[in-house]
Amino acid sequence: MTDVTPTKTLDVCGKICPYPDMNTMTTLKKMEKGEILEVLLDYPLSVERMPRNLKKQGHKLLSSEQLDGPNYRMLIEAHGLK
Amino acid sequence: MGAVVTGLFVGVLFGFILQRGRFCMNSAFRDAILMKDNVLLKTVFVALLVELIGFSIMDMTGAIAINPKPFWWGANLLGSFIFGIGMVLAGGCASGITYRVGEGMVGSITAVLGLSLGGYITAAGFLKPFKANLQAATTISGADGSALTLHGILGMDYTTLALIILLVVLAVWYFIARKNGEEYEVDKGWGWVTTGTLVGFVGILAFPLSAAAGRNYPLGITAGWINIVKKILNPAEVSLDWLGMLIIGIVLGGLVAALIAKEFKFRVPKPLVLVQTFAGGLLMGFGAVTSGGCNIGHLLSGVPQFSLGSILAGISIVLGAWAASYVMFVLPQKND
Repeated sequence: MTDVTPTKTLDVCGKICPYPDMNTMTTLKKMEKGEILEVLLDYPLSVERMPRNLKKQGHKLLSSEQLDGPNYRMLIEAHGLK
Repeated sequence: MGAVVTGLFVGVLFGFILQRGRFCMNSAFRDAILMKDNVLLKTVFVALLVELIGFSIMDMTGAIAINPKPFWWGANLLGSFIFGIGMVLAGGCASGITYRVGEGMVGSITAVLGLSLGGYITAAGFLKPFKANLQAATTISGADGSALTLHGILGMDYTTLALIILLVVLAVWYFIARKNGEEYEVDKGWGWVTTGTLVGFVGILAFPLSAAAGRNYPLGITAGWINIVKKILNPAEVSLDWLGMLIIGIVLGGLVAALIAKEFKFRVPKPLVLVQTFAGGLLMGFGAVTSGGCNIGHLLSGVPQFSLGSILAGISIVLGAWAASYVMFVLPQKND
C-alpha cells in the first residue's frame, strides 16, 4: 500500500485534540474522488478514532502505518464529496 | 505522609488506565456531536455503572459512607458551563490534560498551568468572595441541612435507587444493543468496556483509601492541582494531601504507560494554541472551583452518589462543551 503516490500530504503532528481529525476531514472534503491524501500524525487518540470516522464519511483508509513511537502515516482515498 | 501515600498509588493506576484507554470526557461529549462518535461516551457510562455497583455495596457494608456534594444551583450552572467551554479550548477535560502531561503534550502542560492558576485564584485569591457569595446565595439543602440527592427527594435509600437504576439501565442497554446489532469493537488501544470498567474500579478503590486519609470522597482533580500550587508557594507549611499525591501519580502513570507503548513525545503546537489551552485551563479552574468540582469530582464521583448538585453540574459541563464545540468547529465548517 505504501507504494501509492499521494496526491497531497497533510502534516498534523503536534496539533491538539481534535484538530488532527478535523483538518483531515476538511482537506478530504475538498479533494476529488480517488485522490490520495497522506496524513502524518502523532496523537494516539486520533490514530484510533480516525478510522471509525473515515468509514462514516465514506473515505477509504488504505493504510495506517506506524513509523516510530507515536508517529503514524495514513493513506486515505477521498470519497469525492465535491 | 502516612495515609496520603495511597493517593500516589491510586494516581499511578489511574494515569496508566487513562493513557491506555484514551479516556477523556472532553472528547466523549464533543465527539458525540462533532463526529457522531460515541465510543468514549459509552466508556463514561460503563465507568459510572461500575462505580454505582461498587459504591452501593461499600455503602451497604459500611466500608464507606457516601458523601454527596451540596446543591448550589447557580454556582453549579454557571461554574460548570464555563468549565465545559474551557475544556474544549484546553483540548481535554481535567483528567485528560493531567495524564497527557505525562505523554509529553506541551499544550496540556500549559492547560494544567491555567487550571492550577484559575483554580487557585478562585479558591484562595481575588475571586474567592465571588465564588463564596454565589454558592451561598444559590444553596438549597434538605430540611436537616444535608445535601440534596436524587434518592433523598424520592424518599428512598441510596442502595435501593442504585439497584433500580442499574436494572433499568442494563435492561434498556440490552434491548438497544440487540436492536442495533451493536458489536464490541476493540481497536489498537483498549475497548470501551475494558476502559470503562477499569476507570470505575479506580473510582471504587479511591473512595475508602481517600477516606482513610481524612477526605471522605472518591476521585478529584482540580483541588489536587490547587494543593500542589499551595505547596509550591508555601513549602514549609503546606503538605501534599491525598489529591495532590493523586495528581503526581496520574502524571507518572501516564508517563509510564506512554513510555511502555513508545508513545511519549514532546508535542509542541503553535504559540497561539498554547495561549488557547492556557486560557481554557484558566476557565476550567475558575469553573471547577465555583461549581465545587470538575468532570471527575462532579461527573465521575458525584453523579454515582446521586448528588443533585453533581447531576446539574454534569449537565452544565456537557452543555458548555457543546456550545463551545459548535462555535469552534461546527460553524466554521458550515461556512466552508
